[in-house]
Amino acid sequence: MDIKNVFQAKDVPEAINLLDQYGEAAKVIAGGTDIIIALRENHVKVSVLVDISSIKELKEIKTSDDWVEMGAAVTFTEVMDYFKGHKEYSGLIEAASLVGSPQIRNAATIGGNICNASPAADFVPPLLALDAVLTVEGKEGKREVRLEDFLLDKGRVDLNKGELLTTIKFIRLRKGQTVTFSKLGLRKALAISRLSTAVYLEIDDDEKCAEVRVASGSIGKHGLRERVAEESLKGKNLDKAAIDEASKVLSNEVEKRLAGRSSCEFKKDAVEGIFLKAVEKAMVHNGDGSYCAMGTQYYPRAAGKE
Amino acid sequence: MKKRGFGYGCIFYGTGYGNGFPDISRSIAELDTKGHINIYVGATEVGQGAKTILGQIAAEALDVPVEIVTLIHEDTSITPDAGTAAASRQTYNTGNAVKISAEELKKEIIVVAKGLLNEDHLEISNGVIRSNTSDKTLTLKDIAEASGGGFLRKDGIFQANTTEMDPETGQGNPYWPYTINAYAVEVEVDTTTGIVDIIRAACSQDVGRAINPSLVEGQIDGGFAMGLGYAIFEDINLDKGRIKHNRFTNYLIPTALDMPEIEKIIVEDPESTGPFGAKGIGEPVMIAAAPAILNAIYDAVGVRLTEIPVTPEKLLKALKKREG
Repeated sequence: MDIKNVFQAKDVPEAINLLDQYGEAAKVIAGGTDIIIALRENHVKVSVLVDISSIKELKEIKTSDDWVEMGAAVTFTEVMDYFKGHKEYSGLIEAASLVGSPQIRNAATIGGNICNASPAADFVPPLLALDAVLTVEGKEGKREVRLEDFLLDKGRVDLNKGELLTTIKFIRLRKGQTVTFSKLGLRKALAISRLSTAVYLEIDDDEKCAEVRVASGSIGKHGLRERVAEESLKGKNLDKAAIDEASKVLSNEVEKRLAGRSSCEFKKDAVEGIFLKAVEKAMVHNGDGSYCAMGTQYYPRAAGKE
Repeated sequence: MKKRGFGYGCIFYGTGYGNGFPDISRSIAELDTKGHINIYVGATEVGQGAKTILGQIAAEALDVPVEIVTLIHEDTSITPDAGTAAASRQTYNTGNAVKISAEELKKEIIVVAKGLLNEDHLEISNGVIRSNTSDKTLTLKDIAEASGGGFLRKDGIFQANTTEMDPETGQGNPYWPYTINAYAVEVEVDTTTGIVDIIRAACSQDVGRAINPSLVEGQIDGGFAMGLGYAIFEDINLDKGRIKHNRFTNYLIPTALDMPEIEKIIVEDPESTGPFGAKGIGEPVMIAAAPAILNAIYDAVGVRLTEIPVTPEKLLKALKKREG
């Protein structure tokens, strides 16, 4: 590690100026839980760090009529606090709560989790299921990009020289809508995800699956939308047969994708169990044979604490 | 689907070096000028609680308050050799050496006291020297001052009583003493992911005599955690002689969240040769945990796993193989 300068930016323009000025020699540091390790192990060689962890506007979560918007430097602990009690967002709460340990969750940020672009990033699948949109700011101005398009490869995102990820937003959940998450880690804390799935589910008044988005972690180069599973569920009554069929379809997809890898045999089977859990968490059985989306029965409580 | 099962594991374990190997601990007990007791012993505290219980043993043997006993250890320039903190031997072996040195020091204190009081029937009670026939008393400080302001020091040495096994007859006395325990474990196996969740556990541990019951319970928690890691997490992942899991990111040990509540049953059956009847339990509390967990997995899903760690990957594979 050969860091010459660490700048603590006080606002976004200052951070962008520094990133632009130092170019390849600079990296952003927020929580530092990934980059400090990468620096120590010489996986990342830069001489300048731009610290964005005290930029106030990047540390806020806001809920408006249509959107929930989170600053990139929001920590996982802050995510858990903000959405606490809002069951429709249980996927965000659960994914955040399964990141590392309490110490890591207090420091690590959601923007860092996205930009580090690990295939195992816990927070990426629920954001993909929510079809999150990112705001990226640079010298040339702002642009918006869907998270799914932002993730390019393992460890690589669509961020040009001098650009900074500033916010992550998704459409606020309404009645009948929910997002859930299920993770297979090898132990109960401090576990890197071996496999994870997130499900966004919208159930209409006829108990049919009006809209569904499925995302996965650790079974591709980065978090992925699993469209074959989505197609399999859409428009259906979510009975056991329909859900089992979707999990088989997903399993086949994983088998094709991981063919030739030593983890294939395990992951193609385990993904069924993990996917079923995420779907089950999304549905609340009302006891009379009917069901609704998780969180619906608590509606219309407003999301977040504005 | 989630399936539950119970499993048991029980062991007996010979503590100490064994098989006639010289298993010797030495201790020095000292009355210093302030009237306090110092115990010099080469025993190493590795978190097992030796530092606490060796002081307790000295205080009990001398009949003085534990607060005036200082244990001086881990400094080879001023402490006599007490062997390794290994083989579950410090409580038994070094405990005996400390007890012997403390008893010798007690005798010496009484000798000095007899000279000072001109009385024959004296004893130490809670740190005060009393006469059985009169009201006369002396403090330990009085003894320290009377012995010329110097230090009273006494050695204690203990050797475990083992012999080599006769290669012809198989007879001998390979270990002394033996410690016995049993674990019961309830697990929940998720048959869709292969994840094993330890729901609860109980440990029944023969300790001879619990010098410090809280420390015994701590040893059980620690031993079970190690056994749990051994059974389902810890894998060095050797590849052509190279350890691939060479850091705690991938060599997984249990976290607090992985530990179940453990019901501890301390069985006291005093060992006649142990210090106040105590025996070592450090290794025994670990050994039966993994077999109990594997038995519980078998009870839950009917698959007998013979290789550890039982990772989700291995378990799922075994479940599939059985289904054909």
